[in-house]
Amino acid sequence: MPMTAPAPLSQLDVAADLLTLLRDSTTEPRPDSQLEALTLAVAADLPVLLWGEPGIGKTAALTQLAAALDLPLTTVIASVHEPSDFSGLPVVGDDPATQGVPMAPPDWAVRLVRAGRGLLFLDELSTAPPAVQAALLRLVLERRIGALRLPPGVRIVAAANPRSSAADGWELSPPLANRFVHLQWTHDHETVVRGLGGTWPRATLPQLDPRKLPEAVDFARRAVCGLLAARPTLVHRLPTNETGRGGPWPSPRSWDMTLSLIAFATAAGSARDVLSSLVRGTVGDGPGLELLASLDRLDLPDPEDVLADPAGAVLPERGDLRQAVLDGVVAAVRARPDRARWDSAWAVLVRALETGAPDLVVVPATTLASLRQQDWDVPAAIERLAGTVALSRRADRAAVASKARR
Amino acid sequence: MSTNTPEEGGRLDRDKLFAARLHAARARPYLATALFALHTVESKQVPTMAVDRHWRCYVSPAFVDRMPVEELAGVWVHEVSHLLRDHHGRGDRVARERGLTGVGDRLRMNIAADCEINDDVYGDGLVAPEGAVRPWRLRLPEGQLMEEYLSGISFGPLTLDLSWLDCGSGADGLERAWDLGSDGADGLSEQERDAVRFRVAQGIKAHPGDTPQGWRRWAEDAFHPPQPWRDLLGAALRSAVSGSGAGDDYSYGRPSRRSAGVPGTVLPSLRRRPPRVCVIIDTSGSVSDGELGSALLEVAAISHAVGGRRDLVNVLSCDAAAGVVSPLCRAEGIPLVGGGGTDLRTGFEKALRSRPRPDVVVALTDGQTPWPSARPSCRTVIGLFPRPGRSRARRENNPEYVPDSPPAWARVVEIG
Repeated sequence: MPMTAPAPLSQLDVAADLLTLLRDSTTEPRPDSQLEALTLAVAADLPVLLWGEPGIGKTAALTQLAAALDLPLTTVIASVHEPSDFSGLPVVGDDPATQGVPMAPPDWAVRLVRAGRGLLFLDELSTAPPAVQAALLRLVLERRIGALRLPPGVRIVAAANPRSSAADGWELSPPLANRFVHLQWTHDHETVVRGLGGTWPRATLPQLDPRKLPEAVDFARRAVCGLLAARPTLVHRLPTNETGRGGPWPSPRSWDMTLSLIAFATAAGSARDVLSSLVRGTVGDGPGLELLASLDRLDLPDPEDVLADPAGAVLPERGDLRQAVLDGVVAAVRARPDRARWDSAWAVLVRALETGAPDLVVVPATTLASLRQQDWDVPAAIERLAGTVALSRRADRAAVASKARR
Repeated sequence: MSTNTPEEGGRLDRDKLFAARLHAARARPYLATALFALHTVESKQVPTMAVDRHWRCYVSPAFVDRMPVEELAGVWVHEVSHLLRDHHGRGDRVARERGLTGVGDRLRMNIAADCEINDDVYGDGLVAPEGAVRPWRLRLPEGQLMEEYLSGISFGPLTLDLSWLDCGSGADGLERAWDLGSDGADGLSEQERDAVRFRVAQGIKAHPGDTPQGWRRWAEDAFHPPQPWRDLLGAALRSAVSGSGAGDDYSYGRPSRRSAGVPGTVLPSLRRRPPRVCVIIDTSGSVSDGELGSALLEVAAISHAVGGRRDLVNVLSCDAAAGVVSPLCRAEGIPLVGGGGTDLRTGFEKALRSRPRPDVVVALTDGQTPWPSARPSCRTVIGLFPRPGRSRARRENNPEYVPDSPPAWARVVEIG
């Protein structure tokens, strides 16, 4: 007769309870500009390469991204695969001489193609042997696995460790680096501490606004063409020094990618910081910053509009931008001088003086005064600018005093 | 516009403050963008003038009153220099790396940052404000960086009168009571800060003649901080030895062990072939033993990390004639003979003729040599010891002598 004793609570069950408690965490909405940048690049269907130290949360971010885009996530750890897993396994048939040797794709690729959509995450790209990397790059860039072609609904993201920490130091050759959007993945100390305490951030992901699409494309084209028309040398510039190798650099291909990214960021109404990391990750720091600077200038009010309505003009708060607008107004008057425009420019300067720092007005006022023609009377507004003359003289005296004290 | 006197409730004399900024912008036109981008905030809590990392400039009305305009201009340039040189970011990094947590440490950072700025921003039309910290006052050398000054600064009689020093969170990264924080109005976003720094750097690069050495160096490095040569040499060497034909790779020479599980398929298998590295050392007398030793050790360590063995690293000393190829495991006794003129071409020839052939040739040299005219048959990394003074001396002695620059087919890493 079997003995019936109360079944002891199995250790594994207790462990399972503990695990449930540990996993019990909540989320809170928090803006996350790196995740937003990643989402936009993936939405724009550009190959993204995440650079980040191991264990920094790249996989967690991808899980969140897949959930947000409603795509099934397939993770492939590149370093544990063989090249044939990506280029296709050669299967010898009955009559190779006439039928050829088909390259059979692996099961996950077949499933992806059958589903027609999904997010493919190629992790640990940099620790895979060179032959595997070569096969993977064909997958990333041509979207081919053996005989299969990935459907357009599949988006690909790769991750790599930075050069300094990669054990066997793979690095991108310049042609390959040029095809990726490079995003640096870093951890935010506060987020990690709060997350381990039980509250992980839930990023609010960008939403493309269907009404903004034509305007976004127009803006992106104006931004990129405006810069490249003025700076032809920025169109193509191969990295020459050792420091710039393996990173983003400008070429017609990467400028084309930049154009899409600007359009996507504009349609989603993203902040400049997000656009900044995308653009600098595509064409590199220098050209990227030049583009962003020219975007800032695109945002400034048109000098002609300011001249047409000095009273209603909104001058930027930031001093350097404000001075750029005032210089632009004076330059517009110089280009097409007439009495009404000259008077109008004085009104603009008075307005600038009343709403901001006086030293910004000195140089434009001096230039504008020099544009006066003989039959033009001095406008009454100039009286109110007398203070700037005093300011300028005071600065002159300080210059003399500085020389004397040397 | 009315001029405020301190009697009227101690209001800020804006005219004086902005006249000083105008003078500063005229004296340092390349900093004008940055000076104008600063957003001024009147604050009675600030002892003097201080900046935060969002490019706000907090100004004490009493301080403006007691400073002459020409000294105030110097303060403007000083404060904006903290921001341009990213002292708050660098301060945070140093604090993390060296485990500095105290308020006193942040004050030392502020003093060190002031030393970095003050040794080259004044003069040439700009007066140093009363009591500005100069490196010589702390018995420190001029021309160093904040990080270097920091280790030389300790509290004592020399720094007794500096405890009032406070340039704000923009100078050392520590939040102050008066800071408006990241949510406050009119701060610059990270992207805007980068854009301003970039424009200033571009302006300096466009007119390098008008700017002092310290600012030119800053402009060169502002967006491409120099990387440690060990990392660069390591990356170059690793990518050379892990390229096809060396190290681990797949080969169809023998079938994969997985083949048994997938009948009918032919799979490659992973085969290991440790990379062979040959180091050519320029012993022409111009490279010091210390430099050579550290570079050589680095090469050995890297090649070990990628799976090479010490006995697969060969060393060849070379001046005008090549020495003998000897394995590194006997490197302690390698005679680094030479001292004459350099011709690395013989070294390359000898290295490539050695059997078994190297996968990678690393040349450690100061570059004062003719180079092989054609690309060698294996990957090449050149570790270059910079020698600006020496090359000039040589050219003066022998005007016809023009050293060739390292060829385009090699990966060149500047060492030191």
